[in-house]
Amino acid sequence: MISGAAAIAGIGATEFSKDSGRSELKLAVQAVRDALDDAGLTPRDVDGLVTFSMDSNAEIAVAREIGAGELTFFSLIGYGGGAACATVQQAAMAVATGAAQVVVCYRALNERSGRRFGQVSVAAVQAATSSGIDNGWHYPMGLATPAATVAMAARRYMHAYGATSADFGAVAFADRRHAATNPAAWFYQRPITLAEHQESRWICEPLRLLDCCQETDGAVAVVVTSPDRARSLKESPVVIRAAAQGSGPNQYTMTSYYRDDLTGLPEMGVVARQLWTQAGVGPDDIRTAVLYDHFTPYVLMQLEELGFCLRGDARNFIADGAIELGGRLPLNPHGGQLGEGYLHGMNGIAEAVRQVRGTSVNQVPGDGPVLVTAGTGVPTSGLILGPD
Amino acid sequence: MTADDPVTGATAADTTAAGGNDSSAAILVAARKVRAAGPGAPRLARDPVNLPAIRNWTDAIGDANPLYTDEAFAAASVHGELVAPPAMIQVWTMPGLQPQAAGGGADPLGQMMTALDEAGFTSVVATNCGQTYHRYLRHGELLSLRAELTDVTGPKRTGLGEGWFVTTRNVWYSGDEPVAEMDWRVVKIRPGVAEAGPAKPPTPAVGAGSVMRPPVSADTEFFWAGTQLGELRIQHCGACGALRHPPGPACLTCGATEKQDYQLAAGTGSVYSYVVHRHPPVPGKQLPIVVALVELTEGVRVMGELTGTDPDQVRIGMPVRASFIRVDDELVLPGWRADERAVPGALPELVLDVTATLVVATAIATRDFYPVHHDRDFAVRHGSKDIFLNILTTTGLVQRYVTDWAGPEAIVRAVSIRLGVPCYAGDRLTFSGRVMKSSAGEQVVAVTGTCSLGDHVTGTVRLAATRSAA
Repeated sequence: MISGAAAIAGIGATEFSKDSGRSELKLAVQAVRDALDDAGLTPRDVDGLVTFSMDSNAEIAVAREIGAGELTFFSLIGYGGGAACATVQQAAMAVATGAAQVVVCYRALNERSGRRFGQVSVAAVQAATSSGIDNGWHYPMGLATPAATVAMAARRYMHAYGATSADFGAVAFADRRHAATNPAAWFYQRPITLAEHQESRWICEPLRLLDCCQETDGAVAVVVTSPDRARSLKESPVVIRAAAQGSGPNQYTMTSYYRDDLTGLPEMGVVARQLWTQAGVGPDDIRTAVLYDHFTPYVLMQLEELGFCLRGDARNFIADGAIELGGRLPLNPHGGQLGEGYLHGMNGIAEAVRQVRGTSVNQVPGDGPVLVTAGTGVPTSGLILGPD
Repeated sequence: MTADDPVTGATAADTTAAGGNDSSAAILVAARKVRAAGPGAPRLARDPVNLPAIRNWTDAIGDANPLYTDEAFAAASVHGELVAPPAMIQVWTMPGLQPQAAGGGADPLGQMMTALDEAGFTSVVATNCGQTYHRYLRHGELLSLRAELTDVTGPKRTGLGEGWFVTTRNVWYSGDEPVAEMDWRVVKIRPGVAEAGPAKPPTPAVGAGSVMRPPVSADTEFFWAGTQLGELRIQHCGACGALRHPPGPACLTCGATEKQDYQLAAGTGSVYSYVVHRHPPVPGKQLPIVVALVELTEGVRVMGELTGTDPDQVRIGMPVRASFIRVDDELVLPGWRADERAVPGALPELVLDVTATLVVATAIATRDFYPVHHDRDFAVRHGSKDIFLNILTTTGLVQRYVTDWAGPEAIVRAVSIRLGVPCYAGDRLTFSGRVMKSSAGEQVVAVTGTCSLGDHVTGTVRLAATRSAA
């Protein structure tokens, strides 16, 4: 069992900006060092590194630049933002099996000043891989951006359950409200109204500009070690109560349009079942959740897949401020990727750690477990974190 | 004067540098002068309305309406005698192969063309033609045409480059009686300076780069070979009979990797979901576009661009049929169009093989001797793929399509068309239509003519209601 076998001992980040002015490798190095400082560890203590296959900084480059010595574990996780929580899962498995003692998970990207994921990636449909072939059924036809791929599922979801653009707007509203009181957020002190969401321009109908997350330069790192080791360090351990990956039947990356319906995220259902079993808790026990929010409609679908509400009922579940601070289930207290920054989900893990430690600027009261999810529409992952 | 070339983007063109330079000022001065002069001198038809010319036209257009050529039928009709096809109106006053020396350049359109030629806007493309017929014409009537310049706007960015839109109003008279009118719009384009100009170019109408190409593997090549032939091929398992799309090495139902072949889809289905993509630019696409995930009648889903329907009119569940969007010689993408056959008031389709003979015969029968309609070498030298249909023919084909359906005695009151992509020799032109409005006095039929490059023509035909709505 992975539950309780590892803990998060440190978190680190750079500033979140639109133009970092430095290399992605430098961002990675700074975030990793920041996380090690937070844990009270040194680069010499690191013997494992995990990142996304999309990250441009090889583990050995990061190890070299931070001044780590030998590595006994290194690993890359695929499928874009779906990798976020899986990096921690990999680290926990390495720690649990003795493959490594101190594993740092990192993600660094100049996603605004460098390669912008929201633009059309011609390279993605030129790859001589199964993924290139998959993209060939969508990109040439004009469905060629992440927003467009989500919009296709969102339209069907609206049709099936009567959800509206205003329901999506409630998610953006909550994120921006939370970001407004988080000094680390790009949209600090800049909340939006629902009307502003409804007036924002169409990007790919039915998605508006304010349904789409930001583009961000920055980096985040997370230090994973054994609970015993963590107890000897600066901060109290944040224990990994559950960690899981999932992909669904007939799975594609962002375009799983050829299975039974388009109104759910079966891969998140696969993750959810494992998380609840591993942690021995259920949706009602969760104090706050950080749900991956690159696009608002998938937050509604996640609430359903995770069992917080019935299928099609998320629009009612989120009504009346239920997902805002002070509500029944505050989501993304840091402001999420719409409000704080788009760090491919890694900043959400850092926020979950702060919530467990009780150190968030938007602290949700209580001592219940905190849920984090990774990228949606892709093979994905999730975590449940709790106090020691 | 009747070259019909691609005008994609023309009507949605952004105005650039409105005035502000010498050539614009000179063009606007010329336009004011020509407009102030009012209608030009009447141009007299060379011959009166006559049966031989009508027969050439009905042969070339393929219009078998007996009203035009069968004396007995015509005598028993509401007209009481043979009449001319309304859509021939422009033919009677065409200048012909050897224009009279005095005629050329004297009319307002000719004067405006000369002014634009001098400013470097030397290419001409017809974009819109709206004809209204006050009555049918009898044999022996000698027509005259008076034309008046009504509007000159530009320079605007079009799909072909920077251009000026010139609109004229044309009235045909039989004696002193006006018998038909036409609003006629052409765009005059400056060749080869599509991206030039000192002003900052606005957002390109079409996303930079060319349409993205799908990678093809041994598992998927049958699909792309099929679209080349206008076939929608769906992987079929010879072991268990299941279908799958997108294709792959194995049957997703029984797991067989052998005996994987394909079956031809009927090409019908309905919209399962769709998006209207507006931002950011997509290589080779003019935004917005509708991309639809369609559930085929056979049960599998296929993604494609849905063209020809206003984005606001698209709905989940809407019946569609497969279309094939030719990108170039090597790539044809699957796409969708609203299935007009599945909606009330739909007209049966008409499919025409546009042979070189058809292009040339119709050009001559409409007395349009511009070489792009009969001389392939000339057409290629001027940037076209081949010779292509002229706008007078397209107008005639639209009329024929509707009267084939409405019956020989339907009274055509007006034909209004807008040209899209060119229809080259060797292509296939498919007309579809739908009754838009039907009242006691009148029917309005919407018509679309599609070829492999997209919509060649969209328009409406107004009929005096002689037939109840289908």
